Amino acid sequence: MTSESSPAPRVVGLALILIGIGATITSLGISLDQYGRWGARLFPLAGSLALIVLGMLELRRSEGPRLDRKHWPAVAGLLFLSMAYVWAISVVGYLIATALAAPLALWIFGVRSVIGLSAAAVLCPGVYHLVFFELLGVFPPLGRWFDLLDVIAR
Amino acid sequence: MDIFPALASVVADPVLLGWVLLAAIVGMIVGAIPGLTASAAIAMLLPLTFYMEPLPALAFLYVIGKSGRYGGSVAAILFNTPGTAASAATQIDGYPLARQGKASKAMKVATISSVIGDFTGEILLIVGVAWIAAVALKLGPPELFAIYFAAFIVIGSVIGKSVTRGLASAALGVLVAMIGLDPISSTERFTYGSFDLTNGIGLVPLMIGIFVLGEVFAQIEEREKSTEMAQGREDPARNVLTWAEYKPCLSHVARSSFIGAFIGMLPGLGSAIAAFVAYGEGKRRAKDPTTWGKGALEGVAAPEAANNAVSGPSMAPLLTLGIPGSTIGAILIGVFLIHGIQIGPTLFLTSRDLVFALFACGLIGIVMYGLIGYYGAAFVGRFITRIPTRVLYPVIFLTSFVAAYTSRGNLFDVYVMVAAGFAGWAMRKLDFNPAAFVISFVLASGAEETFRQALLLSDSGLMIFVTRPLALLFLLIGVAALIFRVRSLGKRARGQALGDA
Repeated sequence: MTSESSPAPRVVGLALILIGIGATITSLGISLDQYGRWGARLFPLAGSLALIVLGMLELRRSEGPRLDRKHWPAVAGLLFLSMAYVWAISVVGYLIATALAAPLALWIFGVRSVIGLSAAAVLCPGVYHLVFFELLGVFPPLGRWFDLLDVIAR
Repeated sequence: MDIFPALASVVADPVLLGWVLLAAIVGMIVGAIPGLTASAAIAMLLPLTFYMEPLPALAFLYVIGKSGRYGGSVAAILFNTPGTAASAATQIDGYPLARQGKASKAMKVATISSVIGDFTGEILLIVGVAWIAAVALKLGPPELFAIYFAAFIVIGSVIGKSVTRGLASAALGVLVAMIGLDPISSTERFTYGSFDLTNGIGLVPLMIGIFVLGEVFAQIEEREKSTEMAQGREDPARNVLTWAEYKPCLSHVARSSFIGAFIGMLPGLGSAIAAFVAYGEGKRRAKDPTTWGKGALEGVAAPEAANNAVSGPSMAPLLTLGIPGSTIGAILIGVFLIHGIQIGPTLFLTSRDLVFALFACGLIGIVMYGLIGYYGAAFVGRFITRIPTRVLYPVIFLTSFVAAYTSRGNLFDVYVMVAAGFAGWAMRKLDFNPAAFVISFVLASGAEETFRQALLLSDSGLMIFVTRPLALLFLLIGVAALIFRVRSLGKRARGQALGDA
């Protein structure tokens, strides 16, 4: 069902089928309503079954172009940084987490200047905090273990 | 003629005009930066607008969408890299003109054509939208579900390279939208015992993830490439655009504006399809098609007019039926909802002044980006080449986290945004369709509600969708669109196979 082959049809097909089967099993576990009707199950089930059918169609397709994996380590690094950054916000608060994440993000994108990275570690948390948590009045995410805002507020 | 009082009220409000002007500038710059789209900018700025009044918030994002569509032409003409998917058609003739030293002339043609196309689309929207809303008020749940169904099929199958992966994107969007409590029976669905998941997946973190963080992931693969302006020698004398030069473009602009406006009304098709259809149609009807692709001014005018004509009419299904016609429309739903404005046919009864004031802001925004583009496109191009992407994308990366958190003040949303960002990158790599995923996510709750309401109304179960003529018509439109798309792709594949042989 395509004009030109898309990459990895077998892997994609198999993934769609597995997600579809998992979602179908979960959909069938959704409680019926008080009249015993399937109301809340219908749409999840339709989406799940559609994925299984589309996955099977994918499996029938011929192999497409190979994926360029040259930059995957950098992508994986950025994904790891993203997860670590959110976790760090939850434990040491926004300011310290951003002071760590900002230079790391710049480094992944190729910035090597020590002065630049140091400036980012100071400026980024300061500017974002000022704009979002002071000017807009959003309540900042506080760290569970420690938060610099507690020290600053004293 | 509600638009005239609305225009007067907008013109009399300098703060609102300031927001529109800022949106025109931001949209143009973002659209012109290769890789960044107006959708990404709107998704990232959406949480900021929660703290604004409804009209400035909507106008700001709406005009960014318009200006961003136009801004894509700057990158297409000056950098040979389309800033948006839609401006890839502009690039075909725009870049050869830049290489001939006529970049400013090409930009002027793009600007004038964009403004005419955008005005045409906006005026058609203003004239037609209240009428569509009046018709929509008469539609019942079966007809509305049939429209949703057709929208799912069209969005999933028509955009992108792969029909199966496009439809799978739509199905995944539906499944993700089902996470949380069932709105009718409050039954938990796909929550797996997680309290955070009972609130469902937020639209804002999902959008920021798919369109902003996903783009940052994609840009890390492009970080070794640099953006350079076309090196043609700019001669001011050759860049004066005369009436005699623009006159042959007018018929293409008029035709393309209507093509864009028509495609814009259909949910999910969007600017890219409009631009390429208009380019193809323009070339077919051109007096000398051999010049197209080598630097024909008409080849810039046609796609640009169509690309921008999509903007206004794509709001029609959103405002009248609550069905977003584009990703920008899907994001605007978030603004309407956060300000407690119920979109759909009753919008014209409850918030008529707001809607027409928004249209007025759209018209003023077109004039503003037109003036900025006509006199300052080259400056914007030079400005963009000075923005180091290795600094720009880390800043966008950090902004996406705080923006996702701001939407509900919840770190779980930030985890959702990260997951969506990685998924968005993977979807692009694997020819899935992120736009179909997001639009389906937005459509799913409305589709489910109307489907279940229709079944409650029905004495004959699913037959209600067949016995109601309008519902049947829309179901058939959906199926026909799928068949047509599969057949056209099959033909193209056979053509390619014969060509290779």
